[in-house]
Amino acid sequence: MSYIAVEALNKAFTVRKKREKGRLLREKSTVQALKDVSFSIEQGELVGYIGPNGAGKSTTVKILSGILTPDGGSVTVGSRVPWKERKEHVRHIGVVFGQRTQLWWDVPILDSFSLLKDIYRVPREAYEKRLEALTEALQLTDLLRTPLRLLSLGQRMRAELCGSLLHGPELLFLDEPTIGLDAVSKLALREFLQKENRENGTTILLTTHDMEDIAALCPRVMVLGHGQKLYDGALTDLLARYDTDRVMTVRLGGDLPPLPPCCQVQRDGENARITYSPEQLPTADLITLLQAAGPLREMTIQGQNVDRLIAAMYREMDL
Amino acid sequence: MDTVKFYLRSMKMQLKCQLQYPASFLLQTLAQLVMEGGEMLAVILIVDRFDHLNQWTAGDLYFFFGIMSVTFYLTECFGRGVTGSFPSMVRSGQLDTLLLRPRGVLTQVICWAIDPRRIACIAVGTAALVMGSRMAAVQWTFLKALALIEAMAMGGILILGLFLIEGIFTIRSVKSVELVNALTYGGRSACEYPIDVYPRPLRVLFTVIAPFALTLQCPAAYILGKPLYGWPDWAAFVTPLSGLVSFSALYLLFQHAMRHYRSTGS
Repeated sequence: MSYIAVEALNKAFTVRKKREKGRLLREKSTVQALKDVSFSIEQGELVGYIGPNGAGKSTTVKILSGILTPDGGSVTVGSRVPWKERKEHVRHIGVVFGQRTQLWWDVPILDSFSLLKDIYRVPREAYEKRLEALTEALQLTDLLRTPLRLLSLGQRMRAELCGSLLHGPELLFLDEPTIGLDAVSKLALREFLQKENRENGTTILLTTHDMEDIAALCPRVMVLGHGQKLYDGALTDLLARYDTDRVMTVRLGGDLPPLPPCCQVQRDGENARITYSPEQLPTADLITLLQAAGPLREMTIQGQNVDRLIAAMYREMDL
Repeated sequence: MDTVKFYLRSMKMQLKCQLQYPASFLLQTLAQLVMEGGEMLAVILIVDRFDHLNQWTAGDLYFFFGIMSVTFYLTECFGRGVTGSFPSMVRSGQLDTLLLRPRGVLTQVICWAIDPRRIACIAVGTAALVMGSRMAAVQWTFLKALALIEAMAMGGILILGLFLIEGIFTIRSVKSVELVNALTYGGRSACEYPIDVYPRPLRVLFTVIAPFALTLQCPAAYILGKPLYGWPDWAAFVTPLSGLVSFSALYLLFQHAMRHYRSTGS
């Protein structure tokens, strides 16, 4: 059986709306956060979990980590049912919520770590060894005596990550771990996660809106929308489906010739940006057309960036 | 044992946190002293005017005030997580963090905060207790000391239980219910005076629903040698257990509510 096995998972929330004028009772409505979601993840996998806001990603993570009880369906993580054996389960997992701290605000992070050691009952030697390895990898050694509230966002995220890995979890949930980080911090964090996955065999489920994170880290992605699983497979395959358009930026000596209707043209001074689909109009044909109108001085061709592709995908899936 | 160690470590850390802002800490402690001193002043004024209330003498009244005050503020001091932070932890989703750790939720909530500023209130209460015991010329015996300790322990547990109610409501509707304060803070203020000075509805409220009269006042009356309602001496050791009963019932409700915890968006 797979390490994580999720079968026909359902979860609904009752939302009470604001009372309307002239009505005695508030209206209630049910929001189906998850509809028959099934998937399985093997030990040591690094999986990206994406979808627009409100798709049910966080709900899934909260069920998998034992915070929420689902309405229906079955979940096992390493043969444990998270919400039934919460205490035993959370001993084996680590969770980082990008927007919620798990450390103590006013004390040096080393004190937080040391209290976490007691909470998780980590033996002293194991703790010291792990702490040393983690602080080195996450470049926290100089910050150990600084209170959390004085750390920058990037430093804080590294401290959170360190705190969630101290007990050596076999499964790590990351919810928007790179939110608000600068480029250097982002790259360092990604590298660290890859290493953690490779060397300790930690299974990682990464929830994010940052497609670069996914592209850099996750060979496999799952797409969730309106509480349903829409795609499960390689990111490259997913993108190939939507990666149909190219953008050509040209600087012409003369006027732009009339182009077929499948091209979109945007003018920017002397430059023109032409969005076209090579399937309908091969690049060579487009160049021939342009050259006929005058000398082609400059030309670059770009693919769409990943965010645009995902936006196109969400649009097509009607999310 | 391990849990006790965890609690002590948390306390140490919380104290460290509080002392990060020493000036604010001192000022707030001072404010607490003034506040609780004011409450005590009310008793002093009554004693000054009437010199007794029903069968209760000045010493008795100080004793009642003291036992309630010390119990309540000891509970607030060491159980601040339950009495103060819990509802807001549910609302802000901070409770998620606790659920992610291999420890009981209530244990962690208790370990979440302490309120050392309450030391000022505890000092006022202790002074009242000592003064009352002197003035009422209490002959201390082993049994009376035992009754006092049991009363304060059970009273503390009762107070924790009553504060859980707000948390339970918050879990179900993610909205706090101020009404509960009538039982907790209201109970404290009312039961600083002997219960039999109140009209029947209030007596029922604080005997049956929030049994401060049973946990604290029955033993206090026994210690003072004037049994409440003329009850036998052994009642002073049995009735405080109602604190444990109330707490257990509320704890079960709390466990039930936790199953419906729905977290907050993120």
